[in-house]
Amino acid sequence: MGVTKEMVESSLTLKMNPSHLEVIDTSGGCGASFVVEIVSPQFEGKRLLERHRMVNAALENEMKQIHALSIRKALTPEQWTQQRVSKS
Amino acid sequence: MAAQNISSLSSPLRTFSSLRPGVSPSYRFTNFLFCSNLRPSLPFSSVILKPLRAARFRPLAVSAALKNLSESDLVAVPTDLQEVTVNFPSESGVYAVYDNNNDLQFIGISRNIAASVSGHRNSLPELCHYVKVGVVEEPDRSALTQAWKSWMEEHLRTTGNVPPGNQSGNSMWVPARQPATPRKKPDLRLTPGRHVQLTVPLEDLIHRLVKENRVVAFIKGSRSAPLCGFSQRVVGILESQEVDYESVDVLDEEYNYGLRETLKRYSNWPTFPQVFVDGELVGGCDILTSMHEKGELADLLKK
Repeated sequence: MGVTKEMVESSLTLKMNPSHLEVIDTSGGCGASFVVEIVSPQFEGKRLLERHRMVNAALENEMKQIHALSIRKALTPEQWTQQRVSKS
Repeated sequence: MAAQNISSLSSPLRTFSSLRPGVSPSYRFTNFLFCSNLRPSLPFSSVILKPLRAARFRPLAVSAALKNLSESDLVAVPTDLQEVTVNFPSESGVYAVYDNNNDLQFIGISRNIAASVSGHRNSLPELCHYVKVGVVEEPDRSALTQAWKSWMEEHLRTTGNVPPGNQSGNSMWVPARQPATPRKKPDLRLTPGRHVQLTVPLEDLIHRLVKENRVVAFIKGSRSAPLCGFSQRVVGILESQEVDYESVDVLDEEYNYGLRETLKRYSNWPTFPQVFVDGELVGGCDILTSMHEKGELADLLKK
């Protein structure tokens, strides 16, 4: 059995301390493909590449079975608030 | 020795790639699959006729959704170019251009039919009066090529002629920068072949490659026919930036054997595609997309 959305969520919650987290299983059930939106204070001062590396590292065990992980958003809480203000 | 490996990346296959810029690689590939007697030195007229025979053995995947050339409606091209997008879809597909006498001039494929029609009308107003359009659903490269082939073959069957604009040597319809049939650089190869013993570690070859070339994209499939949606998007973004970049096919088991595992270690990045600028990993598809949307990529490439 592959990775579940809950496993991805719990690993990220544990390691990244996110203030907002959304995990979408886009694999259609086989657990090989996920889209992630994550907001965490740990991203402060980090480039996008480093942020993605952090998410990848947090999911090290799951990544062995995940075929495609799309990190749609990796923002700091400040950026997240800004984005929501500018959208609304 | 290592320098030789990188500089001798060309292969006999490149001769075929430069055979005819207007015909896509997958189309040519079909010729080779079905026509073992075909030699690259044959003139174009022989090349184009071969797939007719081949097509009988192959179900035409697009024919269900795509109308025949004869069944498609002839749409007049408006004189005001502003109105082209009203009459024609901005979608991907095959299109056939007719002159004032309803003579077929050219069959092309495009990622944006309205834009292509507009371009033709602009550059060849006297030959571009009516257009037939066949939108291709799920327009990956092979579906588009298949659609183009089916219309070309239908026209050949009924008239026996290749449209003037598609004939060898006619470059009026296919300018250098037309998205449908771009003349693409060949992909780079890291090694001279799987069975040639390397004298330096693969890491060193990767390192040298990304240091010596400003922008390098490691993708799944070739740059002209990426085999993964993420790689395709990365290629699309780089093309839209009009940046000169090199590409390496990580799925090439002959010339890039072992590259996937080695590159993952080298860059400490788990997935493909991977894009390097100035020897540094920029990221994969998500990062590139995000940077592209924010304009950061253009800034990075401009430096």
